[in-house]
Amino acid sequence: MPRVRRSICTAGVGILLGALLCASAQAGEFNWKRYQGETITFLSSNHPWANAVLKRQNEFTDLTGVKIRVDTFQEAQMRQRLVTVMQAKSGEVDLYMSLKSREGLQFFNAGWYADLKPLLNDPAATSPAYDFPDLSPALVKGEEYGGKLTGIPLNIEGPVVYSRKDVFDKCKVAPPKTLAEIEDAAKKLKACDGSLTPWVSRGLKSAAPYTFSVFLHNLGGQYLAGGKSNLSSKAGVDALRYYSALLKDYGPPGVVNYTFYQISSLYREGKAAMAFESSNELGSKMEGGARLNDTAITLLPAGPGGSHPTVIGWGLSLSAFSKRQGAAWLFMQWATSKEMQAKLALEGIAPPRASVAGGAEYQRWVKEQPVRQAWVTALGEMARTGTSEVGPNMEQQPAAREAIGDAVNRIILGQATPEQAAAEADKLINQLLEKEKK
Amino acid sequence: MPRAHDNAPGSGGAYWMLIPAVAFTVILIGLPFLYTIYLSLHQFVFGKDALFNAGRNYLLMLQDRLFWNGLWVTLLLYLISLALQMAFGLYLGMLLDRSVWGRGLLRTILISPFVMPSVVVGMMWLVILDPSIGAANYLLESLALPRSTWLASPLLVVPTIALIDTWQWTPFVALIILGGMQVLPIEPYEAASIDGARRWQTFWYITLPLLRPAMITAATLRSVDLLRFFDTIYITTQGGPSNASTTLNIYAFRVGFEFFDIGYASAQMITLLAIVFGAVMAFTQLRRHTL
Repeated sequence: MPRVRRSICTAGVGILLGALLCASAQAGEFNWKRYQGETITFLSSNHPWANAVLKRQNEFTDLTGVKIRVDTFQEAQMRQRLVTVMQAKSGEVDLYMSLKSREGLQFFNAGWYADLKPLLNDPAATSPAYDFPDLSPALVKGEEYGGKLTGIPLNIEGPVVYSRKDVFDKCKVAPPKTLAEIEDAAKKLKACDGSLTPWVSRGLKSAAPYTFSVFLHNLGGQYLAGGKSNLSSKAGVDALRYYSALLKDYGPPGVVNYTFYQISSLYREGKAAMAFESSNELGSKMEGGARLNDTAITLLPAGPGGSHPTVIGWGLSLSAFSKRQGAAWLFMQWATSKEMQAKLALEGIAPPRASVAGGAEYQRWVKEQPVRQAWVTALGEMARTGTSEVGPNMEQQPAAREAIGDAVNRIILGQATPEQAAAEADKLINQLLEKEKK
Repeated sequence: MPRAHDNAPGSGGAYWMLIPAVAFTVILIGLPFLYTIYLSLHQFVFGKDALFNAGRNYLLMLQDRLFWNGLWVTLLLYLISLALQMAFGLYLGMLLDRSVWGRGLLRTILISPFVMPSVVVGMMWLVILDPSIGAANYLLESLALPRSTWLASPLLVVPTIALIDTWQWTPFVALIILGGMQVLPIEPYEAASIDGARRWQTFWYITLPLLRPAMITAATLRSVDLLRFFDTIYITTQGGPSNASTTLNIYAFRVGFEFFDIGYASAQMITLLAIVFGAVMAFTQLRRHTL
């Protein structure tokens, strides 16, 4: 019977080997169709990233069989809709865009973010090609609260100075290399060409802190010191004075109502020499092509406190109350994959993935126009040295930002001195901090 | 003996037909109203549990300078807008009542502003009134007049918004006045004509008194909207510059939906509701005395 025994053994080994091969083949494939037939809801802000991704949403449905219903609103309205849904602990929304620098702490404390780490660590849930470590560690850190991962970074953005090289050349003015030199340059530009607005930035009180913060940090200031609001410090008062004076003396009339779309319109039409506005506005400012060849892009020059550009990034978050987390996580992977980000990068969405930023196609796109190279250089520096502090680190940050923006407005309108405005803002912010402790 | 009204419409047998309207009112108006009162009596921030604070929100409101600022801006905007809309609406309504060639087309053009969504109106005027690139300042410059900052001026923002609202809603007032004009009796005018009354006398002693019910109706309807003024301000200035155009509605909205303090916002909205209700009651009483 030895021959029979040998045959049985051989067959057994063959079956075992076959089973092992099948298993390893299955482990190498990721099942994108796992949630086929489900429908997920994405609450989106009207943002260049979202607009670029959602043009391709049918690709996601083809890949996974999961349908996606999108509700898109302007940022403020999206947030209002989101809080009413989340307050009700409703599973109506599965995914949403979230700006952690603004609402992260509040939403995390409210328990509105699902922790993505368990999904990320589950090989059945996460594609092996996803490559999470490829995402910028600094941006990923901004998505972490209490050891939990509350979102995936979508982009990197921050305020940069768009300036008209041709105007500086015509007026024989050197571009400012320090914070203090901005005023001097603005003065000379104003004397040279009275039809141009030398300097424009955000004056609308709810929007101003985004750009004001860079002035504060570059002058060595901080929003909080010892747990209390610190705008009345020398650096805080100097920042308020300088930021407001630039807008009042060298900004456009009505600058107290200005936010990104007025600034971009003014710059695009050739009516501003320097515009300090979000890097996201590159496309808007270059629309039509008039500004493509005469624009330089730099970070705000350093001040006595150094160079601390504001850098933030939107994140894509999973609702803690979603009943379709698995399907929603598939969308998150697809939307933030290397392939998708490579496509978005060619549409001007600054990639948070190192491999995409360093990729050949992206570099080719960047080299096509000098303004793109300048933009990428500024973003790279921002990523290395930036801070995401756009207001005091507290739950009631929107209200605190309002107080800061109001201080800027009151100085521009001549309703208060910088010292008075800083003191009033400190008082309001400290009241909010006290309220949070209760 | 059966009573005359037993089988009349509205008698006991037909009350069940009111159920849908009552249910709608209770569910969509009554319950939210009661819930808002409940919220106003609690310290309640989105993301946290509600804590009963026995009306402390109302006390905070009385000490809040932004609440008083909001109330002042609301009343100022209300008075300016109402006065302008009633004056221009009366004139326009009388104009539309005249038999002129192309009256139908004229009516369509003149009433078109109020059928536009307020968001569109706000965006349109934001561009027109932009101090740098807007058409309004271009027009002023071409007439050798000084440019204005319009919506960016703390002094001019309220009158400017009042003008925008007047542009949009005067046609609505005019339509109500037109309706009133078309049911005026002819006899008083004939009598006045025979007595030799002048046009202004006819207008002052006959037309205006007869139009009073229509005018009060128009004023009531506009008052409800004006006291709750929101959309145009939110689109154009968001309450700025520096709270100069922050009405009570705008302030409460921002407190509730941007700062997430829904308890305090509810207290402010209940207060605003009381103001609106008071205004409606006042006009209703005025109308009763007129009839």
